[in-house]
Amino acid sequence: MQIAVLYGTETGNAEMLAEDIAAHLGDAKVSNLADFDPADFDAATFYVIVCSTYGDGELPASAKPFAEKMVSQGPDLTGLRFSVFGMGDSEYPETFNFGGKRIEALMTSAGAVLVGERVTHDASGPDMADDLALSWIDGLLAEARG
Amino acid sequence: MHSIAIVGAGPAGCFTAQALAKLLPEARIDILEALPVPYGLIRYGVAPDHQGTKGVIRQFERLFERQGVAFFGNVSVGDDVPFDDLTRIYDAVILATGLATDRRLGVPGDDLPGVSGAGAVTRCWNDFPDATPVQVGPRVVVIGNGNVAVDLVRLLAKGPAEFEGSDLSTLPAKGVQRIDVVGRSAADLAKFDPVMIRELGRLEAARLHLHGLQGEGKCVEALRALEGHAPEGAGCEVHFHFGWHPEAIEGTDHVTAARFRQGDARLVLPCDTVLTAIGFLPESAFTDMGGAIRPGLYSVGWVARGPRGTIPENRADAQIVAQRVAADLAALVVKKPGRAALAALVPQAVDYAGWLRIDAAERAAAPEGRVRAKIRTKAEMLAIARGEG
Repeated sequence: MQIAVLYGTETGNAEMLAEDIAAHLGDAKVSNLADFDPADFDAATFYVIVCSTYGDGELPASAKPFAEKMVSQGPDLTGLRFSVFGMGDSEYPETFNFGGKRIEALMTSAGAVLVGERVTHDASGPDMADDLALSWIDGLLAEARG
Repeated sequence: MHSIAIVGAGPAGCFTAQALAKLLPEARIDILEALPVPYGLIRYGVAPDHQGTKGVIRQFERLFERQGVAFFGNVSVGDDVPFDDLTRIYDAVILATGLATDRRLGVPGDDLPGVSGAGAVTRCWNDFPDATPVQVGPRVVVIGNGNVAVDLVRLLAKGPAEFEGSDLSTLPAKGVQRIDVVGRSAADLAKFDPVMIRELGRLEAARLHLHGLQGEGKCVEALRALEGHAPEGAGCEVHFHFGWHPEAIEGTDHVTAARFRQGDARLVLPCDTVLTAIGFLPESAFTDMGGAIRPGLYSVGWVARGPRGTIPENRADAQIVAQRVAADLAALVVKKPGRAALAALVPQAVDYAGWLRIDAAERAAAPEGRVRAKIRTKAEMLAIARGEG
């Protein structure tokens, strides 16, 4: 199964995590959502999307062009499988992990299928994003392959 | 293999090193820092109760732990290493020295005892080594309508129980009864981030009052939602005022009041402490758009663009400057000695292992409910870094 890791980042934290996930998986391709066109989604590929939240519950800067294209192009992603690792900060509870939530909504409304549960990492919590993400991805892939 | 020196281990310097390490994996990158400890504004400027924001440090740790970037702490360019020596030793030198000094109010009385700038206050509350203590009395006026002002208000208004999980060592003040926050601009032009305003709505020991709130927009909405916030037993009153220009700070040997005007109207706020959060003075800004001062010498971040902009804005800026440096170096054949030559000049330097000893000591000393207790003097930092602590 082909795996691609996409990330939306503002400060670079999601980028670093995406690179770590890709390195953990061995040969996965990593792309910034800013450089990714929804027309390039490939139904045979499993997409892992790492996305932070910035400002007032907004998508991070690098995910914004992607979100706009998803809305304007309205791609049909029926059957495409993806998962979301969201990053947020519970110091801002009203908008906690809105970035990952928005990505999930954009994907599912285009017909894509979320595999596993969307992760909501908390920058103010005790877990390191890496620790959470690497065991998460292993479990997820077992499920996706199963 | 090119040699690159970055002066300043704050976010601008570290993000530049990160971008350069990607663009020029072969280059040898050294970060010089005047303090014995890295991370600058992330460690000493970002509020102690915003540990999530400090999470970018984990990116910077990679630089030193996996990407071969060297840390030279306790090295002051100009004092320990003449600037010209640095440009002789390195193919490229990038200045990322960041924050300058607090902008003064520029009204009569702005130098009275009891008046402090946000930069000085923040350094003190963040345990910047050997920082001058700032005395805060029960009646405080905060001047400024930006996120730094909100930080000051929040840290003053929080009770001891509200610093769980922070790295605050000592409460900024005890027994603050009233805080007046005064901004020049109307509320709809205030520079607060709505998310920072909403955070005030969770204060457990402060009653919030808003005066002269007009206009529309996300910020005004967030401010309006604060009206009536009055937790039971709150001992601190916070009043926001908009559209008032500072006219004078009153007092003879200490602040007794702050006076503002709005057209012909006057607002006189009796107080014993005035904290200004009206920005910082740039120290220098003399680069072209790519961050170059002259070939081989660049600047990035607040020192280059003036003291404003968020952490991600500095990251974007760092990437632009890194691209410029990489392009210039690609055309450069000369390869200077770099790291080895610097190391010979600065035997007193604290390396990354030395910082890790300080970091470990700070974490080990964290009291209940805190993530670390920062070492508060440079002398003690150096002793610990050398394994004498």
